[in-house]
Amino acid sequence: MTQLLQAITSGLGQGAAYALIAVGFVIIYKATSVISFAQPALMAAGATAVALLTGQAGLGFYTAVVVAVVGAALLGAGVERTVLRPMVGKPVFILAIITLGLDVVIRNVTNRFIGFNVRPMNDPWGLDRTTLLGITIQHRHLAALVTTAVLLAALYAFFQYSRTGLAMRAAAIDQEASQAQGVNVGTVFGLSWAFAAALAAIAGVFIGAGSTVDQQTWVVGLKALPAIILGGLDSVVGAVVGGLAVGVVEALFATYQGTYMPWLGSNFSIVAPYVLMLMVLLVRPYGLFGTPEVQRV
Amino acid sequence: MKTAPIRLLLLVVGLALLVVGCRADDDEAAVDDEPDDAEEVVEDEPDDEPDEADEDDEADEADEPEEADDDGVAGSGPGVTDEPCPDGVNDDNGCIYLGSLNDLTVGAFAQAGPLIQDAIEAFWGRVNEDGGIGGFDVDIASNVRDNEYVPEVQTEVFGEIRDEVLSLGLSLGSSPTLAIRDDLEADDMFAVPMAWNSDFPFDPVMVESGSNYCVDSMNAVDFYVAERDDVDSVMSVHYPNDYGQDADVGVRLAADAQDAEHIGVQSPPGPENQGDAIQAIAADQPDLVVLTLNPTDSAAVVGEAVAAGYEGFFIGHGPTWNVALLDSPAADALRAYFWQVGPYPTYDSDTPGHEAMRETLGDGEVRNDFHTAGWVSQYPVKAALEGAVEEGTIDRATVLAALQALDNVDYEGMLPPDAGNFAGEPNDRIVRGSNIGEPDDDSSAGLVNLATEYVGPTAEDYDFTEPCRDSY
Repeated sequence: MTQLLQAITSGLGQGAAYALIAVGFVIIYKATSVISFAQPALMAAGATAVALLTGQAGLGFYTAVVVAVVGAALLGAGVERTVLRPMVGKPVFILAIITLGLDVVIRNVTNRFIGFNVRPMNDPWGLDRTTLLGITIQHRHLAALVTTAVLLAALYAFFQYSRTGLAMRAAAIDQEASQAQGVNVGTVFGLSWAFAAALAAIAGVFIGAGSTVDQQTWVVGLKALPAIILGGLDSVVGAVVGGLAVGVVEALFATYQGTYMPWLGSNFSIVAPYVLMLMVLLVRPYGLFGTPEVQRV
Repeated sequence: MKTAPIRLLLLVVGLALLVVGCRADDDEAAVDDEPDDAEEVVEDEPDDEPDEADEDDEADEADEPEEADDDGVAGSGPGVTDEPCPDGVNDDNGCIYLGSLNDLTVGAFAQAGPLIQDAIEAFWGRVNEDGGIGGFDVDIASNVRDNEYVPEVQTEVFGEIRDEVLSLGLSLGSSPTLAIRDDLEADDMFAVPMAWNSDFPFDPVMVESGSNYCVDSMNAVDFYVAERDDVDSVMSVHYPNDYGQDADVGVRLAADAQDAEHIGVQSPPGPENQGDAIQAIAADQPDLVVLTLNPTDSAAVVGEAVAAGYEGFFIGHGPTWNVALLDSPAADALRAYFWQVGPYPTYDSDTPGHEAMRETLGDGEVRNDFHTAGWVSQYPVKAALEGAVEEGTIDRATVLAALQALDNVDYEGMLPPDAGNFAGEPNDRIVRGSNIGEPDDDSSAGLVNLATEYVGPTAEDYDFTEPCRDSY
């Protein structure tokens, strides 16, 4: 039982970072109907910024995180304004391909900053851990869970109670109707990219925490793809559940598969989230919390 | 929205300018670097038949004054011109162009590629400063392409320089290199693969310097037993690729020789994907873990396994190490429980070759064993060119033949004295001596030598009748 709880705890900690990236995907998708493939690169850029600001610039960790997150938000908004806004009205497929290009560009620039060495994150958690009721919890995982919970609560409050949040929800439901009511849809687009980039940067911090950042760190961002499809492409709650589920399923398979299902081969834990995703899609084609698309025929 | 078409147009214009600009750069480079400018001295086609370059032809070519330099060496064929190199040192020398297919931007080893390139350019810079080879300077900077560590890209970029270079002074990665292997052989070319698989001594067109991953694994296990303790179990945590598999077989062979259990654990790249391996280490508690990963993944495994209570020891292959790991959260665990095994003594070693390398490279922000790897790899190429000079001809076939006739290369002490046998049987070609290093905060590479040219009993006695990976 302890081992099971241990695996779930560890999985939730890792899944929290996946959830943050996934929420970014969903926010952009809801606002613009575009799946942004630039999220992994923005995640890596945020992680790299923190590593460099703490290592090279000598900033304190939390100051560096704030600077990196603000910087990522500005980058996200800037990219939306200069590259994607002019393409509004074009087929969504084209916009998605543009985000793929953005991903490559941002990764290349980030790699230049990473340089030839791996970059330690210099976070305060490192590999420290605490044992509670027989369960060992890594501090970085605990921090990721708490941070994710706080951020989601803040996002919920923003969307529920602020005028801008209401405007973003309205634009997500119907852009033309909201525009007719005075909502600046362009601002909504920019804000959605800024939020997504900021969340990706925070996720990057937790991906790199206790470890190092290198030129392949962006690959972790791809773990958010099964998460958003599992949870539902247009559901923030679904993204969170999906991200946590991916982390937990990975951890459970890493812990038990070798003992109980060795015939599945090595490293099935990496494939397991995708298998879970397929199983869910067979039952709920729009994901656990996604909105079924109704088409008149 | 009316401005959208204008912006799109501006974007297209901008992109077009960019493309044209880049193309212009390429064109300028092509003019500067153009080996074809000197094609008047080229009589042999870059054909597939080395035998056609027979002695009579070579003698005829050597007799023609415009083709022979001051040393009486005739250069002909692709990648050899009597014009000086674009950035050559000796204006009176001709130029030998070597190609470099390197991982420079987005590939898995993009953090290593530029450092290796720096080292090989420095190596040939030193050779050129010393007068060149047989009346030729050597250029390895004009035909550099980014292979992105992708075999398909490698094939494409190789096609771009195939007719411009004598051979490949660098081809980073075993998989990309194997993608063009048959083309190399067809053109009498060779490649320096910058990978240390036990496959390469079995291949006449591959130029591998130093011990391979399989041998290093054997020596890692034997050295640990000799220096620390007997082992009942040895775990090999390795990538599911040629690098990992070659190393895993070496671990298995050494474990068998030690009557120890061998536990093979494949682990995919990515620190977030090391959970299975960490669980396996925690569950099995092997006496020794041999890592065949990259630095980030190694740090994740070592740091988390030790934090989880593992009390055994780790030895990582050369690519597992990066000096910045000594600033990572896993640093304490690495200092206490980690050695590195590799083909060469570390960057700060005091062999004549190391001293020459450091002097030539000078100071820089990053100086580590990727430089060592690049530098060492060029000695056989230099020896092959010198061998061809002795034959009086520098062309692809002659240089390849000279390479395959080498039974020893002077690595200026950077490798064991018996290293550099490219003429013998594969079992004789394989270098048995490995270097063992331990973490050290004061050295530029973060490692200090614990043992050099160490040959354990397993590697010493093993008869390489096939590449290790064939028995994975």
